[in-house]
Amino acid sequence: MKRFIRIFSNGLIRENPLLMLMIGLCSALAVTTATANGLGMGLSMTFVLLMSEIVISSFRKLIPESIRIPIFIIVIAAFTTIIDYVLKAYFPDLSKAMGVFIPLIVVNCIIMGRVEGFASKKPLRDAIPDALGMGLGYTWVLTGISAIRELLGNGTILNIRIMPDSYQPILFFVLSPGGFFVFSLFIAFNLWLKSRLKPLEEEQA
Amino acid sequence: MKNMVKLGFIMAIYATVACVSLAFVYAGTQKVIAERQKADLEAALKDLFPQGESFEEVTGTLQSPDSSVSFKNEYVIKQGGTPIGMAVRAVGASYGGPVTVLIGVGTEGKIAGVKVLENKDTPGLGANAANPSYFVDRASGITFYGQFKGKSLSDPFEVKGDVIAITASTITSKAVTRVVKTAGQAAGTWLAAQTGGSK
Repeated sequence: MKRFIRIFSNGLIRENPLLMLMIGLCSALAVTTATANGLGMGLSMTFVLLMSEIVISSFRKLIPESIRIPIFIIVIAAFTTIIDYVLKAYFPDLSKAMGVFIPLIVVNCIIMGRVEGFASKKPLRDAIPDALGMGLGYTWVLTGISAIRELLGNGTILNIRIMPDSYQPILFFVLSPGGFFVFSLFIAFNLWLKSRLKPLEEEQA
Repeated sequence: MKNMVKLGFIMAIYATVACVSLAFVYAGTQKVIAERQKADLEAALKDLFPQGESFEEVTGTLQSPDSSVSFKNEYVIKQGGTPIGMAVRAVGASYGGPVTVLIGVGTEGKIAGVKVLENKDTPGLGANAANPSYFVDRASGITFYGQFKGKSLSDPFEVKGDVIAITASTITSKAVTRVVKTAGQAAGTWLAAQTGGSK
């Protein structure tokens, strides 16, 4: 159990895929203009990551070293297509808003990186917490960025008006430069969090 | 050589399993997706022609005279068996990529309504083309797409002339107007020929 929590919490802050490993940024900045998109993208990604890590970790001894990359891509692409169909069928608005970034999960560095660097070498009981931690680490950052961008750039969160009507939306935040700006603040915040965490861990060790 | 066959065989197995599972998901969701798209389209057509009773797809009857605008689908709207209008789903190039617009034309030679379906332009600027709470004329509460309603097809359709532009988004305004004008006139001509009515 302790091991589960240790691997799980790794992805949330200490090795957060976006803020520390700095991978998968492209789609992260592009979809975070509205909170619903950020949350939807994060959860879709978590699903694909979890299922791919489960499959690849369970079959890791049956995947020949020399053709592992194409096999990873087949597995990831299958789960991405599944989530794409499901979103189209049951969440059409979300699917429309995220557009091409859902199919592009296939080539998302986070999934490729975790599958290649972690799941293909570790047993299932380590792969599951890793996928959940990395996925939720991605999701909280995406949701956070998109909530701030939507609030300042549109005056709403999840399309519910928060700011008073007299508030003039700051367009900067929904445009791409605003994405970089908010993202960099998150990196700073995460570094601060990490620096607070470290001494605590050493005491325990 | 032997190794190559073996590896190829292993890959084939993975690919087959993936395909079979995808086939199941496809079979499960495709019907819902198709139904939803149909319902969305009918709701949009109903919005343009509230009195319309049935819709018939006649895609391919119209040709776009303008190479920068293409017609995707056309529908004839009928009430009690007689056509009362035509709707065209047309695509034209805009600032941030293609913009998809649904244009409804009535038999009396007027635009029945316009809906911007897909638009990738700048949020807060060009994206206001589809925003129901963005008013080009705040006093009378007219939206950008709403201003086309009831417009005569013989109007010049000139942005900053008879069409009010979206602030700071002239390219989007012009693109949408161009699509509406091209599709509207094509549909109007077709309808006039069909019904023999005066244009």
